[in-house]
Amino acid sequence: MHEFLEAGIIGVSLGAQYALLALGFTLIFGILGVVNFAHGGFYMLGGYVAYSCVSGLGLPYPLAVLVAVLATAGLGWVFELLLIERLIDDHLATLMLTLALYLIISTGVLVVFGPISMEFTFPVAGALRAGPIYVPRENLIVLAVCLAAILAVYLVLFRTDLGRALRALADDRAVGMALGLRPRLLFPAAFALATGLAGLTGALVTPILALAPGVGDPVLATSFITVILGGLGSLGGAALAAFIVGIVEAYTSVYFGGSAGALVLFVLVLLLLVFRPTGLLGRDVRGA
Amino acid sequence: MHHRSAGLIRRLGGAEIAAVVIFIVVFAIPLSTKSVLVYSVLNQVLVGVVAAFSVWIMLRMNLLSFATPAFMAIGGYTVAIAGRYDITNAFLLTAGAFVLPALVAVPLGALVLRLRGTYFVLVTFVLSQIMQLLLFETPDLTGGSNGIAGVPPGTLLGTELASNQQVLLFACGLALLATLITALVTRYFRQHFAAIEENEILAESLGLVVWRYKALGFVVSAGVAGLAGYSLVNMLLTAHPSSFDSITAVDFIAYTIVGGRASILGPIVGSTLLVYATNLFGTHGQYAQGLYGVLILVVILAARGGIVGTVGTLLRRRA
Repeated sequence: MHEFLEAGIIGVSLGAQYALLALGFTLIFGILGVVNFAHGGFYMLGGYVAYSCVSGLGLPYPLAVLVAVLATAGLGWVFELLLIERLIDDHLATLMLTLALYLIISTGVLVVFGPISMEFTFPVAGALRAGPIYVPRENLIVLAVCLAAILAVYLVLFRTDLGRALRALADDRAVGMALGLRPRLLFPAAFALATGLAGLTGALVTPILALAPGVGDPVLATSFITVILGGLGSLGGAALAAFIVGIVEAYTSVYFGGSAGALVLFVLVLLLLVFRPTGLLGRDVRGA
Repeated sequence: MHHRSAGLIRRLGGAEIAAVVIFIVVFAIPLSTKSVLVYSVLNQVLVGVVAAFSVWIMLRMNLLSFATPAFMAIGGYTVAIAGRYDITNAFLLTAGAFVLPALVAVPLGALVLRLRGTYFVLVTFVLSQIMQLLLFETPDLTGGSNGIAGVPPGTLLGTELASNQQVLLFACGLALLATLITALVTRYFRQHFAAIEENEILAESLGLVVWRYKALGFVVSAGVAGLAGYSLVNMLLTAHPSSFDSITAVDFIAYTIVGGRASILGPIVGSTLLVYATNLFGTHGQYAQGLYGVLILVVILAARGGIVGTVGTLLRRRA
């Protein structure tokens, strides 16, 4: 029984991480119509920036996480404004641009930090114990921060004028612009918000998992799966799907081991993509 | 007389003829040198070109496919598994490496060709991920994470293709075959593919049976990818999951886009230059990915026709 509960807690905390990644990914697709192949790159970059701040500059870890968020958000802002913006309506072209950015980020990290993985550990150790159940403290902290970030994203998108403007542009760009919304300001903001979330996840999670070149690849794949499952562009769907993916992953790895669970999940997602491209909660298919 | 031959070239396609001639002339390289470096680079180029053809065929219909590594894996593992049963006849293996992925592509095509644009990209990416997981989850058939090592050399007309020169000559043969198939299909169905690329809905409303040509393109693209997989296994004498990682699709896409997507010469020029450049990095081969990234940025932002398209435009402007 305690094995079942522990796997459940791992699943939920994985789900919260995936939700942060998927929210950003789906935000970019929903608002800009861009598939961000560099999403895993921003996650990786978040990890490396936080690592450099802690080990190079001696900053305390929470401050390092903040720097990582600002750095990844800043890069996202500049990239959108200077490059994506020029070709915003050409889906394949923007996809290639983000792919190129991913290759450049990966190589940059490789050149600066080398191919070996970094000694980056979470500043809090130990585990909480409740009866027979052990939960590592670091997982609980990450879970709490992730949930807080998800709440903050929700508040920004649904309770502020910025959020209303972004959702209006996602809904119908032409009408939004006719009503005076300014994509030149809002698109980079949306992109920066999304890449900042990926950077935040990277800064939080890489000390627990691993920090090495290439950690972005599985992140990209998971973001894809989650976002397709939830419905491309749907925020609620992305959050729901993230927890489903996290929990399925945790239970199958505990009870079956290996990648059988991932295989089943991928096949399900493939079928869903083919027969219901709008995913679980998506409404209409954005002109692809 | 001159007029008639010009008409023939136009009908067969100048670029297509040039492509076939290039891959006939390439046979001269392994026959005239024994340089290890030349052998290694040329063999990689030949694998890359064939894989890039597979991407290019789909791009003719404005579909960006990440499925190439998955079909390469089917072709490559077909050859490796056949080797276990002492099937080494190169003609038979070539046929198998083309036909099996093509057959798998028929039902898959029925599923994924319903999607276009971004959704097609995503679904083919997921396909390649599934293939990776399948390779790991079927150790009895594919050797799982160990792959299949020690694939026996092929035999052609009673000769064992064991020396480096024979292996490379055979890779040249596979590349020529892939070029012929790609040139024939894309040339013969040029207008159909162009109509789909330009405006699929319009093409359909004008009476073009769009799904038939998309399915045909997908099946041929899968078969050509299978030949690339054979070529890769032929070079390494090993079939390993890491050779068919879904992220390698990015390389083949880079070859095609950087070389130029408008002509069959594009994937050839792109693969040759980028594989050569990768080798210039020597032991830092992984840094070449950054170069690919920069080149893709330049092509997408400044030179949409890629190298071949841009050179063509410059030549026409001068003429």
